[in-house]
Amino acid sequence: MVKEIERAGIPVVHMCTVVPISLTVGANRIVPTIAIPHPLGNPALDPKEEKALRRKLVERALEALTTEVSEQTVFDVK
Amino acid sequence: MRLELGLVLIKDVQFSDTTKLENGVLTVNKEELIKLISEDEHLASVEVDIAKPGESVRITPVKDVVEPRVKVEGPGGIFPGILSKVDIVGSGKTNVLKGMTVMTTGKIVGFQEGIIDMKGPGADFTPFSKTINLVLKCAPVEGLKQHDHEKAVRFAGFKAAAYLAETAKSLTPDTVEVFQTDPFLEGIKKYPNLPKVAYVQMLQTQGLLHDTYVYGVDAKQIVPTILYPTEIMDGAIVSGNCVSACDKNTSYHQMNNPAVHDLYAAHGKTLNFVGTIITNENVYLADKERSSNWTAKLAEYFGLDGVIISQEGFGNPDTDLIMNTRKIEEKGIKTVIITDEYAGRDGASQSLADAHPSANAVVTGGNANEIIHLPKLDKVIGTLDYIDIIAGGFGGSLNEDGSITVELQAITGATNEIGFNKMSAKGY
Repeated sequence: MVKEIERAGIPVVHMCTVVPISLTVGANRIVPTIAIPHPLGNPALDPKEEKALRRKLVERALEALTTEVSEQTVFDVK
Repeated sequence: MRLELGLVLIKDVQFSDTTKLENGVLTVNKEELIKLISEDEHLASVEVDIAKPGESVRITPVKDVVEPRVKVEGPGGIFPGILSKVDIVGSGKTNVLKGMTVMTTGKIVGFQEGIIDMKGPGADFTPFSKTINLVLKCAPVEGLKQHDHEKAVRFAGFKAAAYLAETAKSLTPDTVEVFQTDPFLEGIKKYPNLPKVAYVQMLQTQGLLHDTYVYGVDAKQIVPTILYPTEIMDGAIVSGNCVSACDKNTSYHQMNNPAVHDLYAAHGKTLNFVGTIITNENVYLADKERSSNWTAKLAEYFGLDGVIISQEGFGNPDTDLIMNTRKIEEKGIKTVIITDEYAGRDGASQSLADAHPSANAVVTGGNANEIIHLPKLDKVIGTLDYIDIIAGGFGGSLNEDGSITVELQAITGATNEIGFNKMSAKGY
């Protein structure tokens, strides 16, 4: 899906947990996420902390989306 | 460590007044067995049935399959850390009720439970159509949470197996197989000219009912470690998982791991089988990185020349498999991997979710997406209620005439990744 959407000329950020698979299949902008059963959240956190985590992930993804890349790039979340 | 595995060949299993084993015929006091299993307050009821090869019987949804074994001599007991204390097992003598299993079924726990047909085309794809199966149908008490339900049924299988195996404790086995692994330094001195080979066994540990236990420890909490290969023959590793039926290792598979048995057969002849490294398949990337780093570290530390790596399950564990392969190969150690394929119903799609050029020696257990049609059978042990929702099933899998159309994924053991099935592929 990542590749097909990019082929249509729209940049894509792939947010995923298993970065090696994303690299293998050829995503260009990758944001590593939390875990396979809950990529964009963490049920171990309390709701306030979790919301902050989710915001951080999305902001990083938006940053990746607006960054020019010349090769496959992993945007680690700080 | 030396283990004598005494095989007591089971010719028949019947219900009777007393539970005993004579001349290869196991008789089972059904009431006594049900009473034992019903001690668990999480189970509302237990029914027991017997399914034999060639009978028109379908068992589903199958959770686990267990082989009855009993410790005859040596430390510990079967299923250490679970039914027995945590002594190190795998030495002395163990008797096996060979040719039968204990199987668990009943209301579904997770969606990844299997179908076992004792007759017809489906029977060709599961090893358990060739064994006499004592099937426990367990019903949970109302409101029981999934995890507690899984655990209760898992323990029911182990308890029944231990109860039945007790009948063989003082019997003289029909045949005896001997397996021996020396402490590492002695072992390498014994065969200085043979390549040192280990078995890297990946255990399914994705959580959410996809778990494996080692000496009672949830294996997602381990870092890779070593085992004498005979330890698994006494039940050191058991299945607690509801992963897709076709490529999960039931507890029976764990106790009878063909990779281990075949490596023993070659031990001292063409290679020096030095031991087993176990590792996990967790859902956090850091865990995947750490565990594969450690398998490579252990492989290097033991100065191995080659390893065989087996996977369990599919999807994201493909990444663990490839990480293990790449990192071990980077240490200059040769690898062969055993996996299976999800290549689409026509077999034309990419088989694994991950790949790397270092994975250049691959054994496949077949394509789990292949479709099979299973004709109606006369009797069902368990229920057909879940056929459309188990992994490998789909809306309309259960046809009006009672026949079933599913992917091979739904058949227990069909594309097993430790070599316990008949399907594979050859390159020419």
